Amino acid sequence: MAEPMELLCWGGDWDLPSVHTDSLIVLAYAKFSGAKLAVKSIDWTWRTITASVPQLHYEASTVTEPTQILNFLRKQRFNADYELTAKQGADTMAYIALLEEKLRPALLHTFWVDADNYANLTRPWFTSHSPFPLNFFVPGRQASLALSRILLTKAESPLLNITEVEGKIYSEAKECLNLLSHRLGNFHFFFGDTPTSLDAFVFGHIAPLIKAPLPSGQLQKHLNQLDNLCQFCNTILKNYFNASAEKRTDCSPTAIHDPVDANLQKLTQLVNKESNLIEKMDDNLRSSPQHRPHRH
Amino acid sequence: MSLAAEAFVSQIAAAEPWPENATLYQPLKEDQILLSDSASSLAVQTFLRMCGLPVLVSCRANAEYMSPSGKVPFIHVGNQVVSELGLIVQFTKAKGHSLSDWLDDVQRAEMKAYMELVNNMLLTAELYIQWCDDYTATEISRPRYSSPYSWPLNHILAYQKQWEVQRKMTAIGWSGKSLEQVYEDVSQCCQALSQRLGTQPYFFNKQPTELDALVFGHLFTILTTQLTNDELAEKVKSYTNLLSFCHRIEQAYFKEHDRESQSGSLHHSKGSLP
Repeated sequence: MAEPMELLCWGGDWDLPSVHTDSLIVLAYAKFSGAKLAVKSIDWTWRTITASVPQLHYEASTVTEPTQILNFLRKQRFNADYELTAKQGADTMAYIALLEEKLRPALLHTFWVDADNYANLTRPWFTSHSPFPLNFFVPGRQASLALSRILLTKAESPLLNITEVEGKIYSEAKECLNLLSHRLGNFHFFFGDTPTSLDAFVFGHIAPLIKAPLPSGQLQKHLNQLDNLCQFCNTILKNYFNASAEKRTDCSPTAIHDPVDANLQKLTQLVNKESNLIEKMDDNLRSSPQHRPHRH
Repeated sequence: MSLAAEAFVSQIAAAEPWPENATLYQPLKEDQILLSDSASSLAVQTFLRMCGLPVLVSCRANAEYMSPSGKVPFIHVGNQVVSELGLIVQFTKAKGHSLSDWLDDVQRAEMKAYMELVNNMLLTAELYIQWCDDYTATEISRPRYSSPYSWPLNHILAYQKQWEVQRKMTAIGWSGKSLEQVYEDVSQCCQALSQRLGTQPYFFNKQPTELDALVFGHLFTILTTQLTNDELAEKVKSYTNLLSFCHRIEQAYFKEHDRESQSGSLHHSKGSLP
């Protein structure tokens, strides 16, 4: 019997097996395809700064990056996409590209750049899960990597500071979540009744967003309104990760109140957005050079 | 653009019809334009032709600096300037011309996803090959990019652009990839597009959409541009339905128009499609 494959990843919290998106993708895919992985978390080891996570070790070879790891698992005959048609395989690639382009920047921003979330949630978590003295460096390094990624890919010349980019990336992320919700519809998984690699990718991206107790999470609120995506996430957790059943039942009574509140929330948000837009347009008009002020 | 500015622009845009003198600006065709910019520009031109909107193509050496977002091409319509295909599609939609209104939500999601796939894979691969591959950068990209300028500005601008692209590649994790891996990625992307297209005339069966314009722009440019080697074009050529897709769109939208604008856009190329 060959030795089991070993996966290095960040540890778990908030009901999730791991708090790191890429690690979650690999863990979910492994469960879907039936691959047995010996999961080693890098918390409290020096690997928090040296290793690029997730990392798969097998018989002296090492694979990093979720796409590479998934390819490797497929070559080892752990294939969750076996039953997909060619077109569905193409769709998978397209949707993964959509996630990376539209959703990932906003996720990075929510967890690593937003001051409130970073100071109250992300940094304490990563600091407490890194050994001394790395706990001083690890969160800061991740945060600066996240910021530079967002600025380099999304900020073009008129949007020189992060606040203007924020508006753009959050609106793109919300649109992306809406598109995913439309595509999922009422099904359990994206391609019928069995989960595939696309489900793993979507799960990896949205699960931290749903489960993390974020102090300021406008994207989280938006996601919570998309019931089918929340349902999707919970189904995977329940069926594949055996999360504690009690937590599930706690959520359901509140779910009944949610539709009414959710509608009211949506309406209030729309009205607020409208009035903000009108205010801004008014300001823009007043300050535009075409509008000559009658004062000197 | 911020949300408020976007809303403002579409309000204004909706007010006026498409003028006759709309212009599209891109870098100089003969000497300056590079593969990725040429692909984006062709995609926008194709989209506008598909909508039936007239546009004049104007080549300027400083097109990149004129553009509001630093990306080419950009269009100047009435008193607005809009760059990038995504924003141009929104802008034309505000004026009442749209190619994808008839799609339902799921199809629209698919279309957006495939457009991101092309941007994520094909465009990034084009940028990588142009600027991160030393041989191509030295032989083709730097000389072409800086051709309108005199020494020492040409060196400074070319290296600046190269470093900027390399930083971006590092940020998204492509700097560790080898050229073979990039060609492999392009091949996979083309395979996905080929499988999605199947035997249909356009990606969403009967009518072309902005996805068709984008794919045509990139594939046609890859097929007709001469780089240091032909590997990229070979990867695309191996998918026959993509080749016939390109022929079909070229026939439908470019042949009956001005010979000169078409042969211009194929410039430092091997002529028309093989």
